[in-house]
Amino acid sequence: MPFCLFYARSAGVLLLMSLLLGCAASPRLNDSTLNNLPPGDLLKEVPFYAQRDYQCGPASLAMVLNAAGVNVEMENLIPQVFIPGRKGSVQSEMLATVRRHGMIPFPIEGSLDALLTQLASGQPVVVLQNLALPVWPMWHYAVAIGYDLPTRTLTLHSGEISNHEMSLSRFDATWARSERWGFTIMSPGSVPEAIRPFRAIEAISTFESVQGVQAALPSWKALVNTHPDSAMGHFALGNAHYAVGEIKKSRQALEQAVLLDESLGVAWLNLGLIERQLNNDVEARRALSRAAALTGPWQTKAQETLNTL
Amino acid sequence: MMKKLRLYLTPLLITAFLIGSMPVAATPHGQAETGLVSTQAALSADSSSAERERISEVLARADVQEQLLAQGVSLDEVEKRVAALSDAEVHQMAEQLEQLPAGAGGGVIGALFAVFIILLVTDILGLTDVYPFTR
Repeated sequence: MPFCLFYARSAGVLLLMSLLLGCAASPRLNDSTLNNLPPGDLLKEVPFYAQRDYQCGPASLAMVLNAAGVNVEMENLIPQVFIPGRKGSVQSEMLATVRRHGMIPFPIEGSLDALLTQLASGQPVVVLQNLALPVWPMWHYAVAIGYDLPTRTLTLHSGEISNHEMSLSRFDATWARSERWGFTIMSPGSVPEAIRPFRAIEAISTFESVQGVQAALPSWKALVNTHPDSAMGHFALGNAHYAVGEIKKSRQALEQAVLLDESLGVAWLNLGLIERQLNNDVEARRALSRAAALTGPWQTKAQETLNTL
Repeated sequence: MMKKLRLYLTPLLITAFLIGSMPVAATPHGQAETGLVSTQAALSADSSSAERERISEVLARADVQEQLLAQGVSLDEVEKRVAALSDAEVHQMAEQLEQLPAGAGGGVIGALFAVFIILLVTDILGLTDVYPFTR
C-alpha cells in the first residue's frame, strides 16, 4: 500500500520514469471548467513542510491542517498516520487523522475538473499519486495548491520540493493510477463547493460517528444551505436536531425531507416516530402509513410501529 | 521485589480496567433507545442514490463526454436513460464502472474504455446487446 518516494534514493528512477511518461496524452477538461474557473490560482497561505524519509503522509496532513487553522506539528502526526513497517500511510488513516483533529475530510470526485474547482475556491487538496508504474508502484502523497490554465500546469507542495510545478498531463498520469484519489478538509459548519450531495453526506456522517452529533450539526445545516434540494440532507439534519434534543426543528427538517422526496420511506418513518413521541396520533399515523406503504428496508418497522398506535 | 510488586499490581490493574469499562457498556446507544433510524443506517440501506451519483460523476468527465460525442450520442440522452434505470440496474452499472480502470493516457486503458462506451452506446441505439441494463 501507499508509501512515499524517498527522493535521494530514487532520483535516477524518477528521471527514467519521467522520460517514459513524457508521451502521456494531454488530459481533457470540461468546457464548463475552462469557462467558469479563473485562468490560474495559487494558494500561497498553505505552509510547506519538507518530508523526511518516507513521511509524505504526515507532512501533507500538517500542511492542510495548518492551512485550515489547526495547530498541530508534523512530529505529532507521524505516530498517528505513519506505519513504519510499510513505509507509508494508508488512505483511510489519513482521513481518520483529519477527523481526530476535529476537521472533516471530503474525498473529492476523481477528475481534474473537480481538483481545479477546489483549488479555485481556495481549498488545497491532498492527492495520492503513483509516481512510477502500476506494476511497480511508488505511492506518494502531495498537496495541490495551485494551477495555471494557459501553461497547463499544476503546483504542488510535494516531498522535499515546495511550489513544485508539473504539467497537468504528467500529474494526471500519476494521479490516475490512484484512481484519482484526493481529499480536501473543512471545519464543521462548512461544506466544500462543487461536491455532490451524497459525497458530502457520507463525509459528514462518518465525521459524526467519530466526533458526535453536536460537532456535526453545523455541517448538516451548511449542507442543506448548499444543497437545499437534498432530501437525504434534510433527513440527516432532522436526525441531528433530534439527537441534541431539538425536537421541533427535527420535525421541521424531516417534513422538508418528505416534501422533497415522498418516496424516502426512512424519513416518513422517523417523522412518524417523532409525532408519536409528541403524542400527535393523527400525524404519527399518517406518516407511518406512508412509510409502511413504501417497499424497502423500513417497511416492516413502520408497520410494526403503526400497529402499536 | 519486582515480582512482588507485579503480584499486587496485576489484580489491581485488572479491577481498574474492568470498572473503567463498565459505564461505557451500560450507556444506552443514543438514538437506538428512542427508535429513530440513524443517518448511518439509512445511508447504508440506500446505496442506489450514491450509485446514481457515481454514474453522474463518470458521465461528467470530459473524456467520457468526448467519447459519447464521437459516437454522436448526446449526453442528455444518456442521462435520461440512466434516470430511467431501476435501482438494481443502477447497481449493476455502477459495478461495471467500478471495474473500469480510472487511468487515462495509456493505450490499453483507453481502448478498454472506448470499447465499453461504444458498446454502451450501440446497446442504447439497439445495435448490440451486451449490457442488460440498457434493455
